[in-house]
Amino acid sequence: MLPKIARGVHALSIILILMFLLAPVILVFPISFSADAYVAWPPSAWSARWYVALLHNEEMVTAFRNSLLIAACVTVITLVVAMPAAVALTRWSFRGQDALISLFTAPLLLPSIVLGLAILVIFAGYGLVSSWPGVVIAHLVITLPYALRVLMTGLGTMPSFVEDAAGTLGAAPWQVFRQITLPLMTPALVASAALAFIVSFDEVVISLFIAGTQLKLLPVSLYHYVESWTDPLVAAVSALLVLGTLGIVLIVERAIGLGKAVSK
Amino acid sequence: MEKRYGSFAPSVADLSFSLGQGELLGLLGPSGCGKTTTLRMISGLVQATSGTIRVGGQDVTHLPTYRRNMGVMFQSYALFPHMTIAENVAFGLQMRKVRKPDIATRVASALAMVRLDGVADRKPRELSGGQQQRVALARALVVEPDILLLDEPLSNLDAKLRDNMRNEIREIQQRLRMTTVFVTHDQTEAMAICDRIVVMNRGKLEQIGTPLDIYERPATPMVAEFVGRINRLEGQWRNDGAIAVGDSLIRANANGGTGRVLIMIRPHRIDLAAAGEPGAGSPEENMVAGTIRHITYVGDTLQYAVATAGGLLQVEKATSSATDPFQPGDSVALRWKTRDTLSFSSEATG
Repeated sequence: MLPKIARGVHALSIILILMFLLAPVILVFPISFSADAYVAWPPSAWSARWYVALLHNEEMVTAFRNSLLIAACVTVITLVVAMPAAVALTRWSFRGQDALISLFTAPLLLPSIVLGLAILVIFAGYGLVSSWPGVVIAHLVITLPYALRVLMTGLGTMPSFVEDAAGTLGAAPWQVFRQITLPLMTPALVASAALAFIVSFDEVVISLFIAGTQLKLLPVSLYHYVESWTDPLVAAVSALLVLGTLGIVLIVERAIGLGKAVSK
Repeated sequence: MEKRYGSFAPSVADLSFSLGQGELLGLLGPSGCGKTTTLRMISGLVQATSGTIRVGGQDVTHLPTYRRNMGVMFQSYALFPHMTIAENVAFGLQMRKVRKPDIATRVASALAMVRLDGVADRKPRELSGGQQQRVALARALVVEPDILLLDEPLSNLDAKLRDNMRNEIREIQQRLRMTTVFVTHDQTEAMAICDRIVVMNRGKLEQIGTPLDIYERPATPMVAEFVGRINRLEGQWRNDGAIAVGDSLIRANANGGTGRVLIMIRPHRIDLAAAGEPGAGSPEENMVAGTIRHITYVGDTLQYAVATAGGLLQVEKATSSATDPFQPGDSVALRWKTRDTLSFSSEATG
């Protein structure tokens, strides 16, 4: 009898934890289809009016487009910078290597409010605040450590000696990289691209500091919107964000398998 | 063909040997002795600190790996996991810009040579360890390398497969007359297939010779102990060319020397007889009295530990269906040929 009860408790606790984690995420979907003028549960009637309102909200549409563009730029630059860095840090050995690895991953440990403030102070002097390059550089500070971690793990878990083997078969170093290292790195590359994109797109705190008032970014605009309005428009935006993120995760899963992308 | 090494990084020092066309040379030694480092220096994966490596008269010491034309088979096989078996084998040919139709023919014949037909379109992970190894061998051979380098090729296989693969490697090597360097820590493996063996220890050369030389005429006690079980006795040279061990006299393969001497005898070269006809031995044969302490039965042999005046000696006899005539506690006479008595004067004992 007891094992049966234990199993039941086990299953129930898993369901409770999942509900606790997912409830807010799931809840934004029904709320986004509310016909009410304010966020309330349950909605008194259903409609898609907040999605229509969103399409006509010029600030949100601009911010959405800006955030997408910034995230795309950040992702590309992240990969271009992190890939050679990861190769250098795992394949070569030189003095100060460990110190460099710590330095490159340190931003992950700093509260983003500290980073945001520090970057603001420095950028102010160069006129980078509220500019596209400024935001991209600021985002790189937090996306690079993630990408570097994932890529270094990917390089570290590559089957041993395959690159050596390619060399002995007559492949010059760049051919080894093109034909062996790069294909074997694909899962890690896709994973770090997805991570960089999501991190950049979602970043609130640093963007709050750096984006200023002229350059609209979605998380910042959303944040300001919630400060002054309580209508379900934010739920509509959130629902789209959740779907977008889910889409990226599905692409990663389809391309390489999520478990493989994150763990290896 | 010639290769010469000067002194290297601490892991390999002052190593020098040459390799004949079509020869299978073994690099034998305990783990960490520098044999794999030596192999990696030949292939160019590790740069020699000093010294030269020459292949067919050409100095390749400073050539990068990809220009050396060596076929390397790695211990872990190092197959490319994202390529099919055929693509793996074809890789070296593509790098050499061989024409497409020729690549297909050569890949097919290389796979046929290692008796791997019908797996060309599979991925390495779908193959067993033994099959992966054959792929690695085909991949290394298909480019017709100047030298084939095998790094512990059999160590990841189970015992039965290992013997088969060993003989197969030897058979292919002889058929192609492929100059080959074979790294192993297993003396049986090295003895079984190598033309000559280089025994290494702590980055240094101990001996180069045929398997027979290495086994019967080891240059150092390290070599003698590495290639099989062996007894050690400490003794003192006497002026008449005999060696005093405890209160017995032993004659060795060497005619004489001075000072302390280390004597080594293989356990299976010692004969065991019931005590009773004592004799002082002869110039060709040593004889020592002893008492059996332990008898260990290990299936194909019986191992006796016999206490003698000079110390404990291990004796090994092939078992037969007849009952063992000896019991622990029996007094016995040990006899062995003087030419089986290896002696190392103290300066050589290290």
